[in-house]
Amino acid sequence: MSERLGFDHVTKIFETSGSEAGFVAFDDVTLEASPSEFLAIVGPSGCGKSTLLKMAAGLMPPTKGQVLLDGKPVFDPPPGVIYLFQQYAKSLFAWRTVIDNVMFPLEGAPRSQRGELRDKCRDYLKQVGLVGFEDSYPWQLSGGMQQRVAIARALAADPQVLLLDEPFSAVDALTRMELQSLVLQLWERRKFTAILVTHDVEEAIFLADRVAVLGAKPTVLKEIIEVGLPRPRDQLTTREDPRFLKLRHHLTSLLLTRNAGHVATV
Amino acid sequence: MSQRSEVYRTSLLGLLSPAIVLSVWETAGSLGWINPILLPRPSQIVWSLVELVANGAVFPPLLYTVALFAVGYAIASILGVTIGVAMATSEILYGLLEPLVEILRPIPKSALVPVLFLFLGIGKTTMITVVVLAAVFPVLISTFQGVRGLDPVLLETARTFQASRMRTIFSIVLPASLPMILAGMRVALGLGLVLVILAEMLAGEDGIGFRILDLQRAFQIRDMFAWIFVLIALGGGLMMLFDLVERRLVPWRGKT
Repeated sequence: MSERLGFDHVTKIFETSGSEAGFVAFDDVTLEASPSEFLAIVGPSGCGKSTLLKMAAGLMPPTKGQVLLDGKPVFDPPPGVIYLFQQYAKSLFAWRTVIDNVMFPLEGAPRSQRGELRDKCRDYLKQVGLVGFEDSYPWQLSGGMQQRVAIARALAADPQVLLLDEPFSAVDALTRMELQSLVLQLWERRKFTAILVTHDVEEAIFLADRVAVLGAKPTVLKEIIEVGLPRPRDQLTTREDPRFLKLRHHLTSLLLTRNAGHVATV
Repeated sequence: MSQRSEVYRTSLLGLLSPAIVLSVWETAGSLGWINPILLPRPSQIVWSLVELVANGAVFPPLLYTVALFAVGYAIASILGVTIGVAMATSEILYGLLEPLVEILRPIPKSALVPVLFLFLGIGKTTMITVVVLAAVFPVLISTFQGVRGLDPVLLETARTFQASRMRTIFSIVLPASLPMILAGMRVALGLGLVLVILAEMLAGEDGIGFRILDLQRAFQIRDMFAWIFVLIALGGGLMMLFDLVERRLVPWRGKT
């Protein structure tokens, strides 16, 4: 089995002043994603899943173990791996128009190619459903639209691996569903490897081929589950599929037992 | 109330207080409550001002001051931004330069004018140096704080998109810090203007400050006040220009 991106016995410890031991974000996590796979990582808040993703992005080094991209260890952000931020509003460039934001990854190219690259960016914006907003500024757009700009910009960089850090947690439920379907469409078209971190169990099942479950305190890999639902997925029918509901039940109970002290009231 | 009419109302209100002050001044003068030798009436001052403009006498000193100020301000801004960015992005440079900045910054630059006069003599070089010394620190410090205070998400975005250090600085750090940089440049504007006038008074050979002092010594009070009005207009005009430029450069101010 060839692996595109993998975590090899990865541990992350944050040093805290005053305490010798440090804060263990997660301990000895081994996990890999195959090429063109859609992998979801779920866990409760604060369990370090964003940190895990940042390490995959090369933005943060592991304390122990290593992250491997096509077999080679990752130290700095490797080309072809793009990290999509949870706070998309802060990652967009407020001083640039939407189209100039999307152009950013392509600006290393020579001047002569700028024209056709700009057209490419217009096309990406079309793919994410933002036709007509090329010359708007990010602050003129809604949250969902801003996230689309961030996605278009990530696409412009032609990623082999796309890392999504709770990308839809800050938008309303309907927008979330639209964005989920959008990401699936783009993934099926472009065939990049996608690793999505979320606390939303249903989102993980809906989008992914496999779901990895992280526990909390200490954060370790609890289980990896094959989703096995047919594609293309549909917001209505897939979510009503009995297999979906079974998976949802299983995953939710895994996550709920983590917080033994908190009783879930419905 | 529509936005348009609100703006009109604010502008009208803004004109009200100076108008009141001028009216009171004028009335007090014509009623003989103020010594006309020491403090002429606004109408008399304006008359002198009109004469100055009409016979073109206002332009040489005005241009002189503006030119010196502009050169000094430009040098200070470029220096301030460059050093500010350098100190914020390099631990070594920060370690080297920070003590120097902390020693020089609190010194009232007006106190340095006699020293510079000693070394550089009377003339344009001294004027420009004074402006640079005064204006560079506000720009440097706000640039530094702006860059230091940048959201780490922006820098991580640069990294995930493989942006080189140069590209990160020019395409991300500078535009993102622009609001802070401009805040520092605004302070530097006021400070630089004060210092150039002062320097002209102490060690100058022409310019508005030189004129004002000269006229005071010759006891030509009305003309002196006319030049003070010119100075007020210059300061106000520069500030309005700055606001205009700022609004163009930073359209996202206060939004997001």
